[in-house]
Amino acid sequence: MNDFRTLKLLDRFRGAFEGMGVQYDQMRRILQVKLTMDGRRVPTIVGNSSRRQKGTLLGGRESSTLKGQNGTGDDSNRFIRSLWVYALLGIVMIPFVIMGNNYMFQMSFVFGIMLFMVMTSLISDFSSVLLDIRDKNILYSKPLNHRTISMAKTIHILIYMLFITAAIMLPSLLVGLIRNGIVFFLIFLVEIVLMDFLIVALTAFLYFLVLRFFDGEKLKDVINYVQIGLTIGITIGYQLVFRLFDFVDFSFRFQPKWWQFLLPPVWFAGPFEYVLSGDRSGYVAAFSLLTLLLPIAGILLYIKMMPAFERNLQKLSEQTGRESKGLTRLWRLIGKWMCRTREEAVFFGFASAMMAKEREFKLKVYPTLGFSIIFPFIFLFTNLQDGRGLSDLATGKMYLFIYFCGLLVPSVVIMLGFSGQHKGAWIFRAIPIQDMNAVYKGTLKAFLVRLLVPLFLIEAIIFTAIFGLRIIPDLIAVLLCLFLYTFISYLLLGPELPFSEPFQAVQTNRSLKMIPLMLILAAFGFVHYAATVMSYGVYLYMGILLIANIIAWHRGFTDVSGKRGFAQR
Amino acid sequence: MDNNKPVITIRDLRMRYGERFVLNGIDLDVYQGQIIGYIGPNGAGKSTTVKIMLGLVEGYTGEVRILGTDIAGDSMDYKRKIGYVPEIAEIYDTLSAQEYLTFIGQLYGMREDDADRRSRYLMEILGLKDVFGSRVSSFSKGMKQKVLLISSLLHNPDILFLDEPLSGLDANSVMVVKEILALLAEQGKTIFYSSHIMDVVEKISSRIILINGGRIVADGSFVELKEQNHEGTLEDIFNQLTGFNEHRSLAEQFVSVVNEVRI
Repeated sequence: MNDFRTLKLLDRFRGAFEGMGVQYDQMRRILQVKLTMDGRRVPTIVGNSSRRQKGTLLGGRESSTLKGQNGTGDDSNRFIRSLWVYALLGIVMIPFVIMGNNYMFQMSFVFGIMLFMVMTSLISDFSSVLLDIRDKNILYSKPLNHRTISMAKTIHILIYMLFITAAIMLPSLLVGLIRNGIVFFLIFLVEIVLMDFLIVALTAFLYFLVLRFFDGEKLKDVINYVQIGLTIGITIGYQLVFRLFDFVDFSFRFQPKWWQFLLPPVWFAGPFEYVLSGDRSGYVAAFSLLTLLLPIAGILLYIKMMPAFERNLQKLSEQTGRESKGLTRLWRLIGKWMCRTREEAVFFGFASAMMAKEREFKLKVYPTLGFSIIFPFIFLFTNLQDGRGLSDLATGKMYLFIYFCGLLVPSVVIMLGFSGQHKGAWIFRAIPIQDMNAVYKGTLKAFLVRLLVPLFLIEAIIFTAIFGLRIIPDLIAVLLCLFLYTFISYLLLGPELPFSEPFQAVQTNRSLKMIPLMLILAAFGFVHYAATVMSYGVYLYMGILLIANIIAWHRGFTDVSGKRGFAQR
Repeated sequence: MDNNKPVITIRDLRMRYGERFVLNGIDLDVYQGQIIGYIGPNGAGKSTTVKIMLGLVEGYTGEVRILGTDIAGDSMDYKRKIGYVPEIAEIYDTLSAQEYLTFIGQLYGMREDDADRRSRYLMEILGLKDVFGSRVSSFSKGMKQKVLLISSLLHNPDILFLDEPLSGLDANSVMVVKEILALLAEQGKTIFYSSHIMDVVEKISSRIILINGGRIVADGSFVELKEQNHEGTLEDIFNQLTGFNEHRSLAEQFVSVVNEVRI
């Protein structure tokens, strides 16, 4: 175990801690252990960015069977090594710092981005620290006073925050120092620390509320969705922020409004305006005061509420299983209606439940769903910039960009073979399944019903709003095409027992198989385009697709069964 | 070898979670050298009692004294004399066994090299020498259980609280651990042992305490309990005292439901 430099720094304050009644040696030891354990986890931010390259191994080492064997060899804190990703993300703020002297506007943006990034990574990566229920049994049963344990926990979180914010804010801080001078730099620095306090307090308060009114499972869901949001937010945020400069005119004057009091990032811009621009208006002064007082009040409240927080944590270990009965029955009905055989309906139900509940699956797949909603719009906007207006767009055939959301189909079809709970897959081998095709068919149908159709509906509604009702026949054709496309993806990617492999085993050579699939999707798009040129072409296209679908979903599976699949596994 | 001075005294201990009373007035004196088998059905309040004594749960009423100290005060020094084996899940398993054990030892105030040396010996004796430096997450259930057992004994405590200490251990290891517990008790250590496996409790406990509904319903050595209740095994006594006599009819119902399906 390393002796961390951070801890050596902390040693200088030994006297102060002991003065507060903290058992310093023990607290230091707890921190050392906690930091070591953090070093062996992989932050969400890295896990996802490395997925596309060869990195799944990196994510795998932690949560898979590989982990124990490599002992304690590579301790050189993986967390520290991941910091450059945060620094890279922080670059996005530089333009806001340098572009002008409209501090109110620029710094609101900067602190808004900081709030989003730091808070989401705190929630997604450090929830396990805040919410570790093992602490209770392991630490409280030892001869330690409560102050030592609370202090260790608080400092642990603050150390983590310090590193993340330092990494994220460093680029813009340096640029700010060069561009705007030392006073700006100092205000910026102090405010970053205050923002950290605010974030810790806000996060704890959020957990407190969720735990107060819901159970632990709900909180785990909240954390899961924040992780998903972080992944989507960062990817899309990048697309948008840089495009933003083309759309928004930054020279306009800032106008104070009452609702800005609800947005902490706006307060944080206040002091810059107050000190640097000499704006002494009531709003700016009020913002500045809030910036100074609220974070400090927040962190004090947090320390005070710690015991109550710990008590609520107990809920995390409690098992409660309430489920909305009505909805389950609805899905079962849909399953019966969708599936020919009972076996198929069983796997339809199983796959739907896994898609909706398995958190690791959601973490891996839902961001893809998010992207595929956004993708068509990114292309639409790119075309907008080429000088055409929205009304011009509405009469054209740009709605065919909706095909881009079909990109999710192959990647989700691949992901259907994986799960965080792959060990449960022994059941496929232990039970006598008469027709393996029922397994694949039921699973794919569940994907269509629970993921693809809802997503497509959202997309279709927005598109209809832009392009008008005239595109509805086209949209129906696209949906039929996506059904067929799902079948084709399944054929080309090969059947895989659903939810039977760990995510670490996702292989990159599979992405190679994606390329022909993308071409196929493009081909569908072109055929559709050609069909729109003919009169009634769309209906013809629709008819062909319908017949193809019927053949594929009724006959397609029986043909496959002999050739490949279960026997060879 | 009962001494006159009890090491644990509990007086009128009550505990409430929300509306539900978990403990309804427990009175108990535990003497040095006893191996207490603390048994009861699920939800009877066994682990709550243990957790209160360890200072993990607050908000009880009544008095608990351990080694003469009232644990309600801010004093935590009494915990130096206590060892605790929690359930298996309660372990920092991303650490190696070595790291975990020295950490725990140091929390008890031991020197690092001392904790390291002792845990290495103890691991070696229990046949885990080769995995001393491996992460606990890669261990089997039985190996983790051994690590927990060592972590509870590193600092040579006077009282030992064990929660299902034999789960996951193979038959040979069970024999070793049972022998260890007997030797420790012989040397004057007190062991407070909760388990659901009646055979083991029956064999190793010098005194058995059965609680049900938050109250002590039986207290005495196995022989004494047998005389009072005219039943053959501890399992039978347990069933009788907890008012459970439906096992036969429940089993019959279960099997008849199983038999309904004919494929």
